[in-house]
Amino acid sequence: MVLHQKERARQAKGLDGRHQEPLLNLSRRSFIAGAGALVIGLTLRGGAATADSTAGGLRNVAGGDATPSLWIAIEQDGTVRITCHRSDMGQQAWTSMAQLVADELEADWDRVTIVQAEGHPRYGDQNTDGSRSVRYNFTRLRYAGAAMRHMLEVAAARHWGVAAEQCRGVHHTVVHEASGRRIGYGEIASAAAALSVPSQEAVKLKDRSNWRLIGKAVPSLTVPKIIRGEGTFGIDVQLPEMLHAVIARPPQVFGSVKTVDESATLQVPGVVRTVRLNSPQAPAAFKALGGVAVIARDTWSAIRGREALKVTWNPGPHADYESATFAQTLLQTANQPGAVRRTRGDVAAAFEQAAQRLSADYYVPHLAQSPIEPPAATARWDGAKVECWGGVQDPQAARRAVAQACGVNEDDVTMHVTWLGGAFGRKSKPDFVVEAALLAREVGQPIKVTWTREDDLRHGYYHSVSAQHLEGTLDANGRCTAFLHRTVFPPIPSTFRAGLETPSWGELRLGASDNPFAVPNLRLETGNAPAKLRIGWLRSVANIYHAFAIQSFAAELAAAAGRDPKDYLLELIGPPRLIDPRDEGVEEYDNYGSPLAEYPIDTGRMRHVIDIVAKMAGWGRKLPKGRGLGIAMHRSFVTYVATVVEVEVSQDGKLAIPAVWSAIDAGTVVNRRHVEAQVEGGTLYGLSNALYGEITAKQGAVVQGNFPDWRLMRIHEAPREFTVHIVESDAPPGGVGEPPTPPAAPALTNAIFAASGRRIRRLPIFGTDGRDRLASPTQAS
Amino acid sequence: MSQPHWIAILGVLLMAPLAVAQSNPDNARSSSPSATLQPLSAFADIADDTQRARALFAEIGKVIQHPRCVNCHPRTERPLQGEAGALHQPLVVRGAGGMGAAGMVCITCHNADNFRNVPGHPRWHLAPAEMAWEGKSLTEICDQIKDRERNGGKTLAELGAHMANDTLVAYGWRPPAHLEPAPGDQQRFGQLFHAWLEAGAHCP
Amino acid sequence: MAITMTVNGVKQPVEVTPGTPLLWVLRDHLGLTGTKFGCGVAQCGACTVHVNGLPRRACVTPIEAVANGEVTTIEGVSGPEADAIRNAWQAIDVPQCGYCQSGQIMSAIALLQAKPTPSDDDIDLAMNGNLCRCATYMRIRRAIKTAAKEIKS
Repeated sequence: MVLHQKERARQAKGLDGRHQEPLLNLSRRSFIAGAGALVIGLTLRGGAATADSTAGGLRNVAGGDATPSLWIAIEQDGTVRITCHRSDMGQQAWTSMAQLVADELEADWDRVTIVQAEGHPRYGDQNTDGSRSVRYNFTRLRYAGAAMRHMLEVAAARHWGVAAEQCRGVHHTVVHEASGRRIGYGEIASAAAALSVPSQEAVKLKDRSNWRLIGKAVPSLTVPKIIRGEGTFGIDVQLPEMLHAVIARPPQVFGSVKTVDESATLQVPGVVRTVRLNSPQAPAAFKALGGVAVIARDTWSAIRGREALKVTWNPGPHADYESATFAQTLLQTANQPGAVRRTRGDVAAAFEQAAQRLSADYYVPHLAQSPIEPPAATARWDGAKVECWGGVQDPQAARRAVAQACGVNEDDVTMHVTWLGGAFGRKSKPDFVVEAALLAREVGQPIKVTWTREDDLRHGYYHSVSAQHLEGTLDANGRCTAFLHRTVFPPIPSTFRAGLETPSWGELRLGASDNPFAVPNLRLETGNAPAKLRIGWLRSVANIYHAFAIQSFAAELAAAAGRDPKDYLLELIGPPRLIDPRDEGVEEYDNYGSPLAEYPIDTGRMRHVIDIVAKMAGWGRKLPKGRGLGIAMHRSFVTYVATVVEVEVSQDGKLAIPAVWSAIDAGTVVNRRHVEAQVEGGTLYGLSNALYGEITAKQGAVVQGNFPDWRLMRIHEAPREFTVHIVESDAPPGGVGEPPTPPAAPALTNAIFAASGRRIRRLPIFGTDGRDRLASPTQAS
Repeated sequence: MSQPHWIAILGVLLMAPLAVAQSNPDNARSSSPSATLQPLSAFADIADDTQRARALFAEIGKVIQHPRCVNCHPRTERPLQGEAGALHQPLVVRGAGGMGAAGMVCITCHNADNFRNVPGHPRWHLAPAEMAWEGKSLTEICDQIKDRERNGGKTLAELGAHMANDTLVAYGWRPPAHLEPAPGDQQRFGQLFHAWLEAGAHCP
Repeated sequence: MAITMTVNGVKQPVEVTPGTPLLWVLRDHLGLTGTKFGCGVAQCGACTVHVNGLPRRACVTPIEAVANGEVTTIEGVSGPEADAIRNAWQAIDVPQCGYCQSGQIMSAIALLQAKPTPSDDDIDLAMNGNLCRCATYMRIRRAIKTAAKEIKS
């Protein structure tokens, strides 16, 4: 039964901004006809800007195309629509991207509304991953705003017959100071639309001392909707005639359907039919996993339909994957000589001469991103063209994947981006969009594919499992003279090229090949490992295990030397200087996509955040028995974070985390309130994973299914005190979303050692095997 | 500063891994009298009243000390969950009247009947602290349930009626499908309990 | 089967399969997508609504249980506690991705309705059923306390 309220609600689901925009009614009308809108040709379906007499000047600004019509529309009533081409998944992309534009544009923030860009190459990089939305767009979006303001000033000047230099755009109005004349942006917009786009040289960016929005704690544009349950996430999309799909997928990657008995399924009320999806051949890439889709009139019927399905599976090539034995294999590999990836001095010789030699193995299991919103996508065909909706981090990759899977041109695929209910890397893999597109075409009606929590945990692209072997030598004074780091993990490229087993340069640059320690002898080695699951990016990626190993081992060296861990870490890092790993045999060092010259590896900034956080935490103060502090520092995504965790460990091994302090140096910061939030959230993400995070496989199938056996930190376990310090800096903006995560786990385990003498080298600390006490100090961890 | 909250980890719902996705967890499976709770006749040969009472109570103990019962008669303010005495996830406590804490009461999740994997009863709540059974010996429990100060003021006759007829007690034999029911059924349990009372209600 | 309940003050007759959880009736049949799906097993709290004034996980509430009952969702919750919570949430931008926040807000309102000046322990006990993967927990805590103060004054 279709209800009146339901239909209205359906029409209201759509792109979001200050105004509720009906998704299906988004038309050129609101942009072009009669509205004096400056965005000419921001059509909804592909194509370059049409009728754009403003072409030229700003196509190649640092970061990409800064042509104003790509980013800004001004309506006659003065509403400023800013296009956000990055996905908002909680890091407040809408707000920060809009701040960059609106500040230079001199727009009234209260009259700004956001349009979410579909996936299209005209916007440049849209892969919201790698903590680079601000970093990549800091310059070009400011140019877009400044150029638009310039054009409004020129238009107003012509309108008044005065010199353009005498006109200034200020707070949504162009002002001619000499005469006091003013005209609102809305009124002058259509005149400005006729002008040509200035060149980059003709546009002046504001001096940062004049920023009104950038650098301030500007409130989020999404929160006012969130608190009323408004806003459309991928799972919320509703279309007329839409059916729902819930898919039974092979338990093992590259497994396939052997037999299906759908008779009981078809009896479930609301179920329409089933559809077989083919299983892919390796590499998995972003292909649909295959299986049996249950198509129904509503989500619940589809879920019940799947429960009634009787499927047997061919297990595929990875049915021998057992996490317990694989862990042993990784550790064994980590204890054998590996491929040398970086060398300084002569580690072997130093080992022979050493007064004291330490070694330790560290293990971090597979992790799941597990955003609270599971993957979901909707697709609708119109002839040979398909429109897709979903919470995707990389809408262009989604477009490509759908085009490939469906055998159509990319230009015939539209990828609408909704809000993401968390992503952390899972939603940069658009396999769930491919599923929706394939099913919608087969069924002939719009289809929404909803993944349940079990689907999300069992069919993920997991953070890679790793073993790290570290060895260090101390001289008679306790100084570290040699440092060996051997890292072993199935590499992410294995998901895209079958059979790859060697850790890639792309993953080594994530905290391994750029180890800053100033020891006279240093070597980095890798060992190979095959991938038995789909491996993918999870918030901060390989930095997680590299930081865990290196920062834990630094503390172990300190303990062996009888030294304070913070002082020892500073000594290991050495004096302020810039580092280039390529000087030491590192063949490729991609500095997170930014040039080393602009974003050097700066040990001075490392030392600085360590000093700050140590002060914040009162490092060195006397603590009651059972309490301890642990410190860790890590540079990732060209940002520096140092974190101190305080723990309390009871006599019988219970653990609590009362307080955390974190100092972040991310260069120029666009929104301090939201940077603080990312430091809080990113740190707790790391702590939660360290405490409980463990994805294991038996017979190639992932064991964990839902929150009882994949635990997440809850509010009562979170620290009650969390203090963030943002370093004031004019340096270029660095990443913020991911850098807080890597130092969290080692700061926690270092604190546990300080509090209790228990050394933890194997994560998770508790997991889900029923332990709730730390092992006694005498037991091996 | 108040006591930090321990990160208590015992939250494993020990279900078969694929059961949640593929199973069809409807309401409780019906339980026919199980072989694991002996019938009254099995005790008829024990002539001595005291001995017979103790033997009966040992049999009754199979129910009383079963997870379906002990989970809601916990030693602390936190109920247990599953088959291995894991702490209930999420963190819930007895609260006022055993109904849970302000903002997350028991009926926030538990309905008047089982639904899917969530047990239910119209009076779903925790037994008060004086009725805790977790970690106690059968002897201690026996003394406790007979004590009017700790059993809600019940006479022995009222206790017997409660065990045999109360519908929340009945839950123990009709949990959701993924949980193991208490042995036997309430009818047999009630018979054994009355027999124990008649034999003098001696504790082991 | 036909069932009638009141949702946000409006009588809503629905025609659904027996045993359909309230969550899916709200989302798919009534188009009220503010209440979210996160786990389906009452472990994450994203589906929290109020039923007859008390917090309830809609994913494990069969529709029969709310027949003739009063359901309040994030779209319709109102009153001094709701206003105070929303103000406090907005003042410091509690949400990040926002997906869990409907549930967080409904639980927080229920807490303040039952306990106007909750302690940290009260907050733990009321809110720990609501998971947040973005880990906005510190801000949730601060905002609840701010809201409590606002109501008091």
